[in-house]
Amino acid sequence: MKSSIWKWNTRTVVTIGIGAALYGATSWIGIPIAPDTQLRPAVALLAIFGALFGPVVGFVAGLIGHVINDFLTSGTVWWGWALGSGITAAFMGLIYLSKGFNPQDGEIRKGHVVRFLIYGLVGIFVSLAFSGLFDIYVMGEPNDKIIIQTVTAGLANTAVFVILGIPAVWAYAKRNRNNTNLTVER
Amino acid sequence: MSKAGNLFVEGDSLFHRMDGAVKLILLLTWTVSTFLFLDLRIFAVMLSAGIGMLLLSRIPFRRMALLFWVLMVFTLINSIFILIITPRFGSTLTGSNTPLIPVGYDTINAETLFYVLTLSAKYLTLLPVTMLFIFTTHPSRFAASLNKLGVHYKMAYAVSIAFRYIPDLTQEFKNILNAMQMRGMGISRGDGNLWRRMKNLSLVVVPLLQSSLQHIESVSNAMDLRGFGTGSKRTWYMGMPMSRSDKWMLLLCVLLLVAAILLKGFWAEKFWYPF
Amino acid sequence: MQPAISFRNFSFRYKSQSEPILKNIYLDISPGEKIWIAGPSGSGKSTLAHCINGLIPFSYGGEVSGNLYIGGLEVSEQGIFERSRSVGTILQNPDAQFVGQTVGEDTAFQMENEQVAQSVMKARVVTALDLVGMLAYEEQGPHDLSGGQKQSVSLAGVLSTRADILLFDEPLANLDPASGVRAMQLIEDIHRREGKTVIIIEHRVEDVLAQPIDRIVVMSEGEIAAIGTPEELLREGVLARHGLRQPLYLNALEYAGVPISGLKSLATPEGVVTLAGDGNLPEGSEYLGETEIRSRLEAWAERVEPATGRLSGAPLLELKDISFAYGRGRTDVVRNVSFSISEGERLALLGSNGAGKSTLSGLITGILKPKSGTITIRGEDLSRWSIRQRGEEIGYVMQNPNHMITQHMIRDEIALGLTARGVLSPERERRIDEVLHTCGLYPYRNWPVSGLSFGQKKRLTIASILALEPKLMILDEPTAGQDYRHYTEFMDFIDGLAGRGMAFLFITHDMHLALEYADRAVVMAEGEIIAADTVPRILSDSEVTGRARLRETSLSRFAKAWGLSSPSGFVQAFIEAEKKVKEADE
Repeated sequence: MKSSIWKWNTRTVVTIGIGAALYGATSWIGIPIAPDTQLRPAVALLAIFGALFGPVVGFVAGLIGHVINDFLTSGTVWWGWALGSGITAAFMGLIYLSKGFNPQDGEIRKGHVVRFLIYGLVGIFVSLAFSGLFDIYVMGEPNDKIIIQTVTAGLANTAVFVILGIPAVWAYAKRNRNNTNLTVER
Repeated sequence: MSKAGNLFVEGDSLFHRMDGAVKLILLLTWTVSTFLFLDLRIFAVMLSAGIGMLLLSRIPFRRMALLFWVLMVFTLINSIFILIITPRFGSTLTGSNTPLIPVGYDTINAETLFYVLTLSAKYLTLLPVTMLFIFTTHPSRFAASLNKLGVHYKMAYAVSIAFRYIPDLTQEFKNILNAMQMRGMGISRGDGNLWRRMKNLSLVVVPLLQSSLQHIESVSNAMDLRGFGTGSKRTWYMGMPMSRSDKWMLLLCVLLLVAAILLKGFWAEKFWYPF
Repeated sequence: MQPAISFRNFSFRYKSQSEPILKNIYLDISPGEKIWIAGPSGSGKSTLAHCINGLIPFSYGGEVSGNLYIGGLEVSEQGIFERSRSVGTILQNPDAQFVGQTVGEDTAFQMENEQVAQSVMKARVVTALDLVGMLAYEEQGPHDLSGGQKQSVSLAGVLSTRADILLFDEPLANLDPASGVRAMQLIEDIHRREGKTVIIIEHRVEDVLAQPIDRIVVMSEGEIAAIGTPEELLREGVLARHGLRQPLYLNALEYAGVPISGLKSLATPEGVVTLAGDGNLPEGSEYLGETEIRSRLEAWAERVEPATGRLSGAPLLELKDISFAYGRGRTDVVRNVSFSISEGERLALLGSNGAGKSTLSGLITGILKPKSGTITIRGEDLSRWSIRQRGEEIGYVMQNPNHMITQHMIRDEIALGLTARGVLSPERERRIDEVLHTCGLYPYRNWPVSGLSFGQKKRLTIASILALEPKLMILDEPTAGQDYRHYTEFMDFIDGLAGRGMAFLFITHDMHLALEYADRAVVMAEGEIIAADTVPRILSDSEVTGRARLRETSLSRFAKAWGLSSPSGFVQAFIEAEKKVKEADE
């Protein structure tokens, strides 16, 4: 059963809170790939929460998780990148709106994966374009440097999305398929 | 990170007593004002004011030291990176070129050097007020403050839950990682090449997700059973009434913002380069 | 008088299931009554609780038939919010219920949702926290509190709303024995002082019976199997017939040839007295005098041979003077700990939450590094071994199997660790088949993990470690959350593995587990080892159990109340007798 993405019941609130906490709790893992740029496996969680609970929950959870993590670990909120996390999750969460896509009940098809991939790639592109422009126009960073950072971050996020995110959603759906016809074999 | 998943330090300073919503407004005004400029003079003034406020809050330095060093390292790396990638970027802002340090393929000029100094100052300017906010505001007050600023209470409570469960989930995550490592599927250096470690990390996703879904289930049941979300409003046990000094601070924030906009419009619209 | 709760021919079926889980329930609970709903898992007792507090049908949909009245009102029309005003629920997991970030805030949670003014809230929070003895903690966060304290706060939260019915859903499941005793005491105090209707869902029999209960409702397969006072049901042995463990001293009496039909006040070990000399005896009951009973008990305890313990082999794992602190300058959370485990030995590491048990297991597995002292395995120093290397000798099984299982298919889960260690086919397949057989999972070998029950998942995690062929297996709270039948099944299975020479370290605060399945116990309190001995001796020592926040076993308390010469001998006799019964069953 999928609920509307605009209806906020208690479960929605808790899902956002726990999702944000999880994103915050795992964001400390990262492999430096360019100066001040990391490959963060936590990005996969954005894909998972987006796909499971929709773009709105994904966006808010990503944003809050990122802001809290910034608070706790860097003392400064990098708003451009925090909003970027939210945007990524929102785009990835578009898959939630697809017909017949319902990982909770084990419903996922190959076509969904293709669509999920496209949404994700677009999301990563849009969010990094946003974060990059934010850094250039608001923070006053040099273009060339930001391009290097965003391109590497984009490649890293894409890798995480493809290697961790998509398979995780696929595996989750597979797990939730009804276990009919299980027989005990002696 | 402390056991409680927040950095709040007990105290009784002006800022500890200040309404969380006001502090949040201060943080936002400060951030926006900083964003507007690329001017070392303004940053110098703001930074001194920020440090002054931080001193007033009497937070012990050792509690802040880590965050301070993190940002220092960050800006240092950032500056070096800029100098290597774009050694003459400063010229695009000033129109002048004063070669200073040859680096083989190019020469770092004085304009760029001054530019990275200004940029670093910009980042540093953001630090004291953010720290002030996180060290003197209890996260439970934080949710009440957001609600007061007009954020819907459901959204505010989502933030509260995130703060509440970060330590639990961090611990759980570490436990899961450790158990995996004992089975030979760790993610540290000794556990194989990068690809191997990534694959091992991917294994953790399933139990982590499983347990998060369990948390969601039990926490939302607990909240439903205690009447969450039925009203259009809610009251806050940790909410604080606005005091006289809070109102003064609000006024100060408004003045700061107006001053910043005026300054930007008439005086310091571009990168300031004195030479 | 109008009942507080009244089920009338009530049935319920979950949406996803074909059979109803509750069938034709008739049950009246009077205002001010204290009711215990007992039953094995799957009997429908939790479902019944969900019907009372409104989670059914609000969160868990399904088909309801018949009627349920609360306070005289038919509830099918009510939302969960109205229900929360009449029924206050204290959930099993205190961490889930404690949603606030301070004690005071959490207590006020429901009042906040009801938009009570702040000043009123503050006053009511003070009153409620005072009632449960937590007022001094008003500003603390959940991470500074023990499980028992968090639960007290949950209770305060419910009390502050003035609901007339208090529903406790497995309140003891996450508490150590001493906290369990205190929780039951607190519930009784509130019950008496506030006159609330109290309903407790629980399967820890002895702990619940430690305080007075008006009636026990025994559930079995979705129906009410029996209702009666504790005295009636214990005398008739109803609990044991429905998959619950009756108090150990009642079994001991039976083994010693003392019929319980001639005794009364059976609910607590200290209370039991003979009916001899009582004017109105139940008809046909056989009763004995006090002296006769005592001599039969003494004779029985003496007849049993003292335990020789399992013949244990050479020392396997040895800890010498281990100390540990989180960070320099902090106080040691583990101090000068020394003990050893021999090959094939089953050792229980006992202690309350926070005694340092999990820190110690972290030190053994290598997650933490000791400040001083050495850990050796077969004489070899482990200090330079990585976690991964240690994992080849020491297996670690987490409490919650869902935290360990990563694969969709059962075989893949077991294969995972083997592949990581470079064990390849056909050896890998051979080992998988072998552990599937050992763990009783072979019939399910082609199943997805999601088809398994909790207990089977638990076995799967054991299987995945077993396949790696460690010499020692550490089990963290191996029986948590399982009812008596599953518990016994699981531990008998572990016992079988120990018989093949694998050593086990049980990290637990479950005393039955230690008593019946461990050769020896090491007791930790405040980071130190305060006792290391055979389990009957430790659990008959009220000083050690008191310091460790454990509880002296009811057997020993019974023996002391009757003035028997050797309480620990009595406990030992009980264990031997249980073993014989088990062997006879096989």
